[in-house]
Amino acid sequence: MPKDLPRTEGKPDVGDLGAISLWLALALAAYSTVGSMAGKLRGSVALVDSAQAAMYATVVVLFVSTMSLVVSFIGRDFEIAYVARHSDLAMPDRFTWVAFYAGNEGSLLYIAMVLSVMAAIAVWRAPERVRDALPYTTGVLMLVLTFFLAVTAVMANPFDKLPFVPQDGEGINPLLTHFGMFFHPPALMAGLVGISIPFAFALGSLLARKTGDEWVDPGRVWGIITWALLAGGLLLGSWWAYTILGWGGYWFWDPVENAAFMPWLALTAFIHSIMVQKRRGMFRMWNIALVNVAFGLALYGMFMNRGGSVPSVHSFGASTLGWVFLLFLAVGVIVPFVIFFWRYPLLKSAQNLDSMLSREAAFLVNNLLLLAIAFVTLWGTVYPLLSRLISDEEITVARPFYDQVNGPLMLGLVFLMGVGPMLPWRRANWASVRRALAIPAGVALLAVVVLLAVGLRKEYALAAFGLAAFVAAGILMEWFRGARARHRSSRLGDPLQPGRAPKGENYAVAFLHLIWANRPRYGGYIVHLSVLMVALGIVGTSFFNSQKDVVLSPGETASIENYEIKYLGTTQVPFGNRVEFISSVEVYRDGELLDTISPNRAFYPSFNMASTRAAIRSTPVEDFYVVPSENLPDGDVGFRILVNPLIWWMWVAGPVMVLGTIIALWPEPSRVPVRAPARAPAAAAT
Amino acid sequence: MPSTSPPCPSKLFLNKHGAHSRHTEVSGITGNVCVWLLGALFLIVLSAPAVVAAQSPSQALEEEAQGIDRMIMCPVCPAETIDQAQVEISFQMRAVVREMLAEGKTREEILNYFVDRYGPDILAAPPKSGVNLLAWILPIVGVAAGLGGGFLVIRAMTGRGTVAPSSRVGSVRRDSVEPTAETAGVAAASATPMDDPELAPYLEIADRLLSSRRGMLPAVGWSEGSPGERSADSGDPSHPGSDLDLRDAEGPPPDRGEA
Repeated sequence: MPKDLPRTEGKPDVGDLGAISLWLALALAAYSTVGSMAGKLRGSVALVDSAQAAMYATVVVLFVSTMSLVVSFIGRDFEIAYVARHSDLAMPDRFTWVAFYAGNEGSLLYIAMVLSVMAAIAVWRAPERVRDALPYTTGVLMLVLTFFLAVTAVMANPFDKLPFVPQDGEGINPLLTHFGMFFHPPALMAGLVGISIPFAFALGSLLARKTGDEWVDPGRVWGIITWALLAGGLLLGSWWAYTILGWGGYWFWDPVENAAFMPWLALTAFIHSIMVQKRRGMFRMWNIALVNVAFGLALYGMFMNRGGSVPSVHSFGASTLGWVFLLFLAVGVIVPFVIFFWRYPLLKSAQNLDSMLSREAAFLVNNLLLLAIAFVTLWGTVYPLLSRLISDEEITVARPFYDQVNGPLMLGLVFLMGVGPMLPWRRANWASVRRALAIPAGVALLAVVVLLAVGLRKEYALAAFGLAAFVAAGILMEWFRGARARHRSSRLGDPLQPGRAPKGENYAVAFLHLIWANRPRYGGYIVHLSVLMVALGIVGTSFFNSQKDVVLSPGETASIENYEIKYLGTTQVPFGNRVEFISSVEVYRDGELLDTISPNRAFYPSFNMASTRAAIRSTPVEDFYVVPSENLPDGDVGFRILVNPLIWWMWVAGPVMVLGTIIALWPEPSRVPVRAPARAPAAAAT
Repeated sequence: MPSTSPPCPSKLFLNKHGAHSRHTEVSGITGNVCVWLLGALFLIVLSAPAVVAAQSPSQALEEEAQGIDRMIMCPVCPAETIDQAQVEISFQMRAVVREMLAEGKTREEILNYFVDRYGPDILAAPPKSGVNLLAWILPIVGVAAGLGGGFLVIRAMTGRGTVAPSSRVGSVRRDSVEPTAETAGVAAASATPMDDPELAPYLEIADRLLSSRRGMLPAVGWSEGSPGERSADSGDPSHPGSDLDLRDAEGPPPDRGEA
């Protein structure tokens, strides 16, 4: 039996369908770009409408293309080079989803698919107020889509065929066969490309000379959606690293981590300052500049991911795509800013800050700090390249640098997270600020005192815990006060509806109503709490973890803090594509047997690569973490043992953050712009 | 968050913290608490050395070794330190670090040893000397300049905008969309620029609501739905902001809500 089969010439198959629909999508997107722009400029409604129809059509066509690749994967059609490179017969079908974006080609198709879906929804659901600018917005979105589709079709076509049909594929990268991989890469890619949407709304309104607040609502909604996608993606990626990379950490300022982190920072700044524009009509220029920066950083992130020039664990391998992305990055940064300055005279915001002591000012400082962190991070990723240019010797910039420079900035940010929401809009006076902050500050002080009392002596950690207590106390106090006021007023009855009998809301109901009545605000508080939870995890693991590397023979023990492990032995289990070394380890705490755990290490001969699965006993107080770092021939195993305090909170923060985001985004009952309905006089008469 | 029989526990709390004349009492009580806490803090800090757990020398050495591991890159794996990388060479380098520490070498000496052998890019962070000091100084200077610049901008913005504090929160949005407000200066806020006559009935309701109970007012979306429902929702006394604002005698009424 021949190892490889000859390819079947001439007969069209699913792969061809995928390739054809990919090219068709490119044509549609290009037409839609030109059509919307030209149609708007020449005032041709028909042209604009047809361009919009073409945009909707890209969704359908790209769906066909995507499904073609999925079908090829499921059928293990190894004639298609991409399928052969990223799957094999041994791969379970559920990993098709992961294999789909395991390489450049598929991930670019995925990005294009996501962008077209998001663009279609954004344009379809766009509020009436942005109608005028919508053709430009469509044009910008389709221009971005055209770029991705052109790169995919011409330079990295996932449907390219091999000259022969291999009997088996190379298989999926073992590091990707993890639950976190089902969501981490797609969420991040969707988040990065999703920034195009608020960006396109901003740029569209600039081009249409609609420089007021029309774009603010869709900009905010899509800003928050992409923000949440990036945040979720980053958390899942950290969790993945924690469980599979086998060194016990979750974040190490890898260039590609940074690449997703920077746009997230810019978006965080944006979703705060856009609130100021929504509420006060201020920061018009600033918001557009911010969303441009976020878009630029997202493009930079995608450039780094595609054969970027900095070494990273995420490198998609040497890729010729780098320069194309670099070019697009340059265009994507320069052109929007040229347009921005061209429209600059129209952007003057009418409103001035009333006071340094106001929520607006706090948001501005928050923005500056976020951008400062982004700037430091960008500087760190760029410096190795600069150093090569300046002094001919390459310098590495890794974790110690970021920890030292960004750490204090992040503390400042947490502080502002506590102060900002307590300040009123426009103007506060010192007396009321003191009143509002007295209790949180007292709680923070108390927390620090208690921690000092139990023997904590690390200034940084003390500051961080104190600030976390400050923010949490502020949020809980707001919740309590709101629920209390609601509870009381419901007992008094509604002064506006004197006929209605007082019913008396209990506190739980009052609390839920409170959240529901002002979703953006209370959703935001929930997200703030989730950020605090992440901060707890970071501080716990950065300052209080213990780590030990030991080599144990069967029967030997090792201890760390009040834990002890006893290594029982290792069994080898062969699988189709790997050999798993499953160790059996007893865990004792204070001499008491807690559990028997099985950390494992798998060796993949075809990749010459090992992948580990840490065994983790997780509690809110601390994680006990054991991972085999080497399997020696005589049955001895090198273990890394860690006690990671508080990291549990970090993973729980994910769902909390998603919940908060959903609440914040839940549509308000009436989103129709201010327009007097027939009922107006009745309302006035009430 | 108490859920059942709410009045009792909260009442206790309220009375203590001054449900009436909160102005003086809250600050008084928190002032006392602060003094008390500061006192406790001092006592604890004084007794601090007694509490600090003694660390065994070998444990301290291992911690130092791990600190050094995290400052040295693995020469063969991309972007990982020898603390992270699980390849033979990083195991060996870790062993070297521990050996040298046992010999009494300092962190500095150990790092230099590796730099001599592998070049400066073996360090996980740029050395804080020579040209590479730039790597450290520039972001700090940049951030300081950014924050300083931001401060100046904020101050300039507040200085420019000597807008008379408006008594009507409702006018906030309107003067913000009024293009002449920039030039009109002081007049802008008080002149109540009404660019949309259709808004009149709503503004009227808004003003009445504000005078009866000062709560939040939605800036947008103040349009549909039954009036009762809307007002219950928006002039919501339950809003924590309103709780604060009611006692806020001085200064313009802060509009703390969000639509």
